[in-house]
Amino acid sequence: MPVHVHPAPDLVGVGPSELVTGAVSLLAAAAYLAVAARLRRRGDRWPVRRDMSFLAGAAALAGAMPSVLPGGPFTAHMAQHLLGGMAAPLLMMLARPLTLALRALPPGGVRHLLVRTAHSRPVTWLLCPPVAAVLNVGGLLLLYRTTLLAGTHHQVLLHAAVHAHVLMAGILLTVSLCHLEPVRQQWSLSWRGGTLLAIGAAHAVLAKSLYVTAPPGTSYALADLRTGAQLMYYGGDLIEIALATVIAAQWYASTGRALLRSRRTPPPRMVSKAL
Amino acid sequence: MAVCALIGVGIMAGVDEIVFHQILGWHHFYDRSVASIGLLSDGLLHTAELLALVAGFFLFADLRRRDALSRSHARAGVFLGLGGFQLFDGIVDHKVLRLHQIRYGVDVTPYDVLWNIAGLVLLLIGMVLAVRAQRRHRSA
Repeated sequence: MPVHVHPAPDLVGVGPSELVTGAVSLLAAAAYLAVAARLRRRGDRWPVRRDMSFLAGAAALAGAMPSVLPGGPFTAHMAQHLLGGMAAPLLMMLARPLTLALRALPPGGVRHLLVRTAHSRPVTWLLCPPVAAVLNVGGLLLLYRTTLLAGTHHQVLLHAAVHAHVLMAGILLTVSLCHLEPVRQQWSLSWRGGTLLAIGAAHAVLAKSLYVTAPPGTSYALADLRTGAQLMYYGGDLIEIALATVIAAQWYASTGRALLRSRRTPPPRMVSKAL
Repeated sequence: MAVCALIGVGIMAGVDEIVFHQILGWHHFYDRSVASIGLLSDGLLHTAELLALVAGFFLFADLRRRDALSRSHARAGVFLGLGGFQLFDGIVDHKVLRLHQIRYGVDVTPYDVLWNIAGLVLLLIGMVLAVRAQRRHRSA
């Protein structure tokens, strides 16, 4: 089989969707920093590490351009997927942008709208961990197991829509698993852990299957396909460990608070036993 | 003890994956022979291993914080986990499910025997340590 040179996608170089992504991440980072600075001037405590985390997330999003990433076209696409769909949402959500906005905004108006949206029924549904997981995995299956990926090479809008979906689904999943924002329903540890296990397994299986079977309609070189699939597999591991660490650290902190409380005020039963 | 067994399982699975898959390259990232169910169980096992490691270390830290950690039980747990996983991998994964073999292109029997004996030895060490820890606990 002659080595098939992958046809250069229309978006080589910095295309319109990349310009928009870059501008949006720059604006988001600037807005976050400005609001956090205002909060601190007011006397609120807002850790600097959250600013750093948001900046890093915005940088990951802006830097997720296939044209600047190393490797063949599929490897670059996968690096973009990892940076934009997994690393950027995690880093940005760890910075608690919704909490920041709610603290900074004056009561009424926009703030009211934000609370209403965050607590609305559709958003609550989307933030149910299994639903968020299905949105993520379903999107990946559509992208890699139908001709969707091949289609994005020729249609700028489709390309942009796919990346917007990957980013939004990543944000939903991060918020639903990590419990950092004031949303309506907080899910139990077992729901979140179980979802993480299921989605991690699905991600690993899909990565391994990409190692041998390219997405339909594409003609990537085999070496490129394999590097990309391994990048997906091990990159997914990193994000999964990070998510598990966030969940476990929250459990550790909350049981620690409960422990402190019980040490400060021993339950009456124990006192009577001591007497 | 159960907590450290969890860490032990995670470590052994991690060692299996890293040493045998990556460094030695004995079995590969993807085996053409495996059915899709094998791929699924592999993905689940891999994810569970990572989660077990993270959860294990946080549970360990929690025990230390409560001063509830018994060192001798902890040691026993790690060995039980190491040996338990090794034996499980050797018998269930390699032989019963035939997910993958330790090495390809050579007679696999000596490897299998060595693998399972090593697992058994680790498991026995764990059991001895557990019994000793239990005795010490009772006499204390």
